Amino acid sequence: MSRRSTALAAFTALAALTGGVHATEYLTPAQAQAQMFPSQALTQDFRQLTPEQIAAIRKASGESPLSPELKAWRAQDGGWFIIDEVVGKHEFITYAVSLDASGAVRDVEILDYREAYGQQVSDARWRSQFVGKRAGESLKLGTDIQNISGATLSSKHVTDGVRRLLATYATVLAAR
Amino acid sequence: MKKVIFAAMAVAGALAAAPTKADEPIFGYIYTTDLLPKGKTEVEQWATLRDARSQGIFHLLQTRTEVSYGASDNFQLSGYINLAHTRVSGNVPDGSTAPPEVFADYNVPSEGSWSRNRFESASVEAIYRFASPYTSPLGAAVYLEPSVGPRTRELETRLILQKNFLDDRLVFAFNTTIGQEKRYLHGDPDADPDTIDYRDHWDKETDVNFGFAGSYRFASNWSVAAELQNEREWAGFNPFKAENRTNVAWYAGPTLHYAGQHFFATFTTLFQLHGAKDYANPSDESFVVHGISNADDFEKYRYRLKLGYYF
Repeated sequence: MSRRSTALAAFTALAALTGGVHATEYLTPAQAQAQMFPSQALTQDFRQLTPEQIAAIRKASGESPLSPELKAWRAQDGGWFIIDEVVGKHEFITYAVSLDASGAVRDVEILDYREAYGQQVSDARWRSQFVGKRAGESLKLGTDIQNISGATLSSKHVTDGVRRLLATYATVLAAR
Repeated sequence: MKKVIFAAMAVAGALAAAPTKADEPIFGYIYTTDLLPKGKTEVEQWATLRDARSQGIFHLLQTRTEVSYGASDNFQLSGYINLAHTRVSGNVPDGSTAPPEVFADYNVPSEGSWSRNRFESASVEAIYRFASPYTSPLGAAVYLEPSVGPRTRELETRLILQKNFLDDRLVFAFNTTIGQEKRYLHGDPDADPDTIDYRDHWDKETDVNFGFAGSYRFASNWSVAAELQNEREWAGFNPFKAENRTNVAWYAGPTLHYAGQHFFATFTTLFQLHGAKDYANPSDESFVVHGISNADDFEKYRYRLKLGYYF
């Protein structure tokens, strides 16, 4: 084996040995549902986004969905519960958004966070800035949502993700 | 041997059992503007093997042991110790033996094999980021690194630019580096007695490097990158005097990066590209062979492994 091949093999083995990812799981999907819609039964209503819907979401929010599958549940009061992922520094950040019957954000919760830094995005005070936001409203980090110094990437991606989900609601769920 | 295997398995097991985590650097040679958050600490171990010339034997292994601290979210301080080992033989185009630059202060027999270990230098590094690539159209930072060794003094300054795309999974970085260094060299008895080379003296040199790299995170925790580096050297401290130019060389190669929640590893291989220049010597004594520079700070291949742990 050449020196280069040996080094590469050693590198891969080392990474594999340390590759077991342990996420910080703040809430399970069931816990988030129960917290956001207490004593309400939720009906699973997953959608497969069409290329036209993805293009419309991108146009409205500036963000492309990472997956064509929309994981949404409909609440008895007409609200929606959506689970989504955004890119973290090295892993995906899983989060949930609840909307009221009019499409305004009721709450944002971080479900799984797998990064060394930036856990501040799970702070209730930071997440509360999203409450009441609607599709079409300005929702940008630094102007509408306060940046978290030292957690800039995570706070930017979660903000972009919520804006994208509001556009998704307006394009797909509200249009049913 | 069994004990070694057992110890390796124990360490690997401990690492695998620990919460594995994530962070930089995504390149081997090019810096990005990503810094430690305020109050966070990181340890990093580098090993760089600089290997092979157009002739003879040339090995130079350099290690760096580094501790970094986030003084603020935009200001990072580091300190590190640099060690070096070399083995050379007949590595100059004329067939003689000469040490690599970091051993240039040693008197080395011009024939036969020569090997040595040394403490190279201790360095302090400060990086200040004045624009984040996540909130500004272009990330930008400046870097300052003074180094002091037994017979060397060096000051390296660097401008770092970074532009991200595709949800920050595609990262481009550009570095401009100016390094001004002094090395205490022994007099050369074969040199003209009227020249400074005849006496012991502090030799001055300026290195100007331009680096460009792109990285793509192709899967969670993993990214692959390509790096391009142009290295230019001048005698003396004035890089604007064309007559002081000495060497130009180009390097390029791939990088593989893994980052868990607290651990990262980065491995880079750079190959010297054709197109090197030797301005310091007449063409019949040129250190460039088939487009490859064999001057004392250049070699054919560079392999760099970085391992780090974030607390």
